[in-house]
Amino acid sequence: MIKFHPNNQQLSEFSSGVMSPTESLIVSAHCDMCVKCSRKISLYTESNTNEAFNDSPDAESEHAFGSMLFDITSQQIDKGIARESSTKVLELDGRQFTLPRSLNRFAASIGNWSHLVGKIWQAPVNIGGDTVANFIFMEKGGSVPEHTHRGTEMTLVVNGEFSDGLADYDSGDFMVMDEKHVHTPVATSDEGCLVFSIVDKPLHFTSGWARLINPFSHLFFK
Amino acid sequence: MFIENDPYFVHCVKTINVHVRNKRMLIGIPLENNKPDVRKPKDCAAEMAAHMDRVAKERCKASFAKIFGYFAPRLRSYALKQMGNEAIAMELVQDTMSNVWQKAHLFNAEKGSPSTWIFTIARNIRFDMLRKLRNRKEDVCSDDMWPILCEQTADPKEKSLDEKITLQQVGELFNELPLKQKAVIEAIYIEGKSQQEVADELNIPLGTVKSRTRLALQRLKDMLETHD
Repeated sequence: MIKFHPNNQQLSEFSSGVMSPTESLIVSAHCDMCVKCSRKISLYTESNTNEAFNDSPDAESEHAFGSMLFDITSQQIDKGIARESSTKVLELDGRQFTLPRSLNRFAASIGNWSHLVGKIWQAPVNIGGDTVANFIFMEKGGSVPEHTHRGTEMTLVVNGEFSDGLADYDSGDFMVMDEKHVHTPVATSDEGCLVFSIVDKPLHFTSGWARLINPFSHLFFK
Repeated sequence: MFIENDPYFVHCVKTINVHVRNKRMLIGIPLENNKPDVRKPKDCAAEMAAHMDRVAKERCKASFAKIFGYFAPRLRSYALKQMGNEAIAMELVQDTMSNVWQKAHLFNAEKGSPSTWIFTIARNIRFDMLRKLRNRKEDVCSDDMWPILCEQTADPKEKSLDEKITLQQVGELFNELPLKQKAVIEAIYIEGKSQQEVADELNIPLGTVKSRTRLALQRLKDMLETHD
């Protein structure tokens, strides 16, 4: 069961379209998996619609609505090309994972899986901009060394379960971590765990040998 | 084929131009009626849905003019508030209304009101405009998250066209029902409530709910038969 959701402010910002594109993407992917949040989104959209359209507009204008109407209705109808609505599948080591709809288009641009540390695998997703997106797969017992965040890390559990010393997470859970959070993610179930993660700054490892990685953590970041 | 010659369409365009000239935003309102269309979206949802249907099926320019007359000024206010620039606001109005004209067939009255659909198109265009204006390099577009304007390949589970037309007709006839019957039918068939829940909510006896339901259904059936 999904326990961790975007908060109401995030959902509201997402539905009115003012959230940053990358944050919107991961919140949207969560909503694909979460009936509760997608219902909330409908409600927010409904109320945004009312807010935008309820008042009758001001009575002043110099604009050419008449010619605009004429221009639009003179357009040829472009029927558009039907898009395949099939869900995309992510393959790793012979296993297949169904992706949330919002991430479908990115399935094609996923880079090669590379071995990170321990039983952790990572594949970059090219979403452009200043943030870095990755699919991360933790095999059973696989663990990311204890770390905190210089920036913000947003994570969506796509499939599986993991714990990080702060809480237990399941498929569909969405978390935002920043410098206030120190955690050690460990995959707990037999199936391992696939997450989608977006970070805007490299992770900062906080304990043991992994601290040695810090000067190089931008290597893991990219 | 030239609907520009259609007297009603010409009338609508003239109405709009006259009002623009008068600097009064009374678009789409016939000349003899000088009051602006102050109705809230939900109060004209059924009417707008019927217009959407005619645009989708017949490319009816007069119906589109009605939709345009109601929504274009509202979109402009929304866009001005959001973007703070008249030229960009008008671009947003133009893009949104072009999509309404082009993609009317993708509107599904069963999934929501025309106002929500049109707002969503505007919100998506705004999202993509803002990304470009801010020179953001993210490869994330509104279609990824809100694919409302993507042509879908036919889904066999979709209802047949005939069935859709009937539902549409029922929707129109439904609006002709007496208010009390309409409220009961709406609660039961659209919101999926039980007759008892409706009785509790409207604070009327269960028997009254039952008889109103029966009367309304009989009436709809009669109307459908005379419609054919």
